[in-house]
Amino acid sequence: MDLALKDIRRHVGKFIATIIGVGMLLAIVLVMNGIYRGNIFDGIWLIENTAADLWVVEQGRGGPFNESSRMPADAYKSVAAAPGVARASPFISYAAQRALAGASQQFTIIGYEVFGGLGGPGRLVAGRAIQAPHWEAVADARLGLSLNDAFRLGSHSYTVVGLTRGAVDPAGNPVVYLSLPDAQEVLYQQDSHALVAARAANAKRLDRAGFGTAEAAKILPLLAGSTATVNAVLVQVTTGHDVHEVRSHIERWLHFSAYTAEEERELMLEGRLKKMSAVLGLFRSLLVVVSIVIIALIVYVLTIEKIRPIATLKLIGAPNRVIVRMILEQSLALTLGSFAVAYLLMSLVRERFPRTLILLPEEIAITFAVMLAGGVLASFMAIWHALRTPPALALGG
Amino acid sequence: MALLEVHNLSKTFGEGDLAVQAVREASFAVEAGEVAALLGPSGSGKSTLLLCLSLIELPSSGTIAIGGRMAWRNGRAQVEARRYRRENIGFVFQGHNLIPFLTAQENVALAMQLNGVGKREAARRARELLAYLEVAQRADTLPATLSGGERQRIAIGRALANEPPIVFADEPTAALDTERGRKVMELLRRVAREKRSAVIVVTHDHRMIEGFDSVYVMNDGLLARQR
Repeated sequence: MDLALKDIRRHVGKFIATIIGVGMLLAIVLVMNGIYRGNIFDGIWLIENTAADLWVVEQGRGGPFNESSRMPADAYKSVAAAPGVARASPFISYAAQRALAGASQQFTIIGYEVFGGLGGPGRLVAGRAIQAPHWEAVADARLGLSLNDAFRLGSHSYTVVGLTRGAVDPAGNPVVYLSLPDAQEVLYQQDSHALVAARAANAKRLDRAGFGTAEAAKILPLLAGSTATVNAVLVQVTTGHDVHEVRSHIERWLHFSAYTAEEERELMLEGRLKKMSAVLGLFRSLLVVVSIVIIALIVYVLTIEKIRPIATLKLIGAPNRVIVRMILEQSLALTLGSFAVAYLLMSLVRERFPRTLILLPEEIAITFAVMLAGGVLASFMAIWHALRTPPALALGG
Repeated sequence: MALLEVHNLSKTFGEGDLAVQAVREASFAVEAGEVAALLGPSGSGKSTLLLCLSLIELPSSGTIAIGGRMAWRNGRAQVEARRYRRENIGFVFQGHNLIPFLTAQENVALAMQLNGVGKREAARRARELLAYLEVAQRADTLPATLSGGERQRIAIGRALANEPPIVFADEPTAALDTERGRKVMELLRRVAREKRSAVIVVTHDHRMIEGFDSVYVMNDGLLARQR
C-alpha cells in the first residue's frame, strides 16, 4: 500500500500549495541558470556572429568591447595590405540611449562597411540588408520596430529595412546596424551651438597666440576633432595562412593590437563577464541550498504531523522500510512536483523575460539531479526522527 | 496448554536508589477464547505490563510464551519483536489510533499487507472483516468522519486482521459512552468466542467488569487474580 500517496491524497490542497511555493523558488533557480548562461551567450554573441578571424584594435587596448579603442578610419587599408589578409573592414560600436518605438531604450549602434564589409547583421528574420550608403538601418526585433518604420537619430531619419532576432551587445541590449558613415555621424554629431562655441574658443586662443585673422581662418578647420575614426578593424585571413602569423605581422609592423576570435572571446569571458558570472553562480548555488533546506523542513514538518500514525505503524509491526519509503516518497513527490511547476513557470516567463535566458538541456538535467539528490538528503532528518519514535507513543505512554 | 503464559515477569526502570519496579514478578495464563480484564489505578503498572508482553518494553526478568512458543526468556527476546507483534498480537487503543489518511478498509488491509497478504486479497478480507464487525457500509470512509463507536470497531477489525492469537485492548471503552462501550465489550467477547483469541482488556472502567472470564488487579506493580 502506498502510504505516501494516500497521505498526499488526504492533504491534496496543502500539498499542491506547498509544491507551488517550492516550485516558484525552484523557478528562480532555473531562471538564474538561464540568466547565467544568457549572460555568457550575450557577452560573446557579437564575437561569435561576426565572421572575423582577427579583431584589430588600438595598440595596447583590450578589444573594442572591454576597453575603448580609437583608430583612424583608413587604418583598415594598411591592415588589408598585410600578408595573409583576405578582407579587412572598419567597425564601430557604441551604446546609445534614445527614444525608439515610442520609448526611451538602451541599445548599441554598430557601424560597418555595408558594401561587402565584415561586422554586419547575420541572419535576418525579415526584410533585407542595408543596400544604400545612408539612411537605412537594420534593427533587432526586441526594439519594437517594424519594417519600413522610420526613427530619428541626431539630425537624420533612418528607415528600418531589415530585422534581426536576438542580435545583442555584450550587455544584452539589442543592436541597430547602420552604415559606417551614418554611425560615425550619429556618434560624433554635436549641437550647432556647441560647435559655434568651440570654434569661438579656438579663435580666441589663436588670437592670443598672435595669429592674424586670415591665418586663423585657415587653421581653425584643422583644430576641429576628427570624426574619421573607428573602434576596430575586422580581418578575414586568406585560406592557408596562419592567423597567428598574420596577427604578429599586424602588431609588429602596423603598431596595433590584434586578437583572434578565440582570444577576443576569452577577453570577454575573463574580463567583463567573469565577475557577473561569479555573482550569478553564487546566487544560484545559494538558491539551490535554500530550496533543499525548505524541502527538508517541509518534509520534516509533514513527518512530525504523522508521528503518532508512524508510532502506530511500528506498534502493529510495520518494518522500518515501510516508514522510510513513505517519507522518501513524499520528499521525492514534493521535489518532482516542485520541479515540474518550476519548469512550467520558467517556460511561461521565458519569452517575456527582459534578459536572454539560455537553458541548456544538460544544465536542466543537472539541476534536476541535484534537486533530486537534495530531496533524498532532505528527508534524512525526518527519517531519523521517525525511526527514533518509540511505538509506545501510540499507546499514549 | 494456555495460549498466553507469563511467569515471574518483572520490569524495573532505572538503577540503584532510583530504580522503580513497575511490574513485580507477574504470573498468569490466558486460554484461547478467554476474555481477561486487567484492572488497576493509573500508574499501577497495567500499561507497562502490556508493553512488556508486546516486547515494546523489554522485561527485566521472567518468561513469556505464546502457544507454547517462548517469546522472552533469560533476559532476551527469542523472536524478532515487530514480527512477533505482527503475527501474534492485535492492538485496540483507547484513542483507536487509526491511520488518519487511510479509509476504514485500508486501515484493516494495511495490517494484513504488512503480514505479507497480497493487495487484492487483503482488500477482500478487510471487507469481510468489516462486514463481520457490522461496519461494512463505512469501508470507504476516512476515520475523521466516523463516530467513536465506528472507529473502535474498525480498530478491532485492524487488531483481528491477521487473526492473532492474542488481542490487547488498552482502555477500549474510555472514550465511549456507556451504551457504545457496552457494545464494544460485547464485540470483543464475541471475537474471543468465535475467533478463539485470548483477549486482555486493560481498564479501570468498573461499569464494564461484568462478563469477563477472569479479572486481574494490579497495584504498585503487583498482579493479583481477583476472579
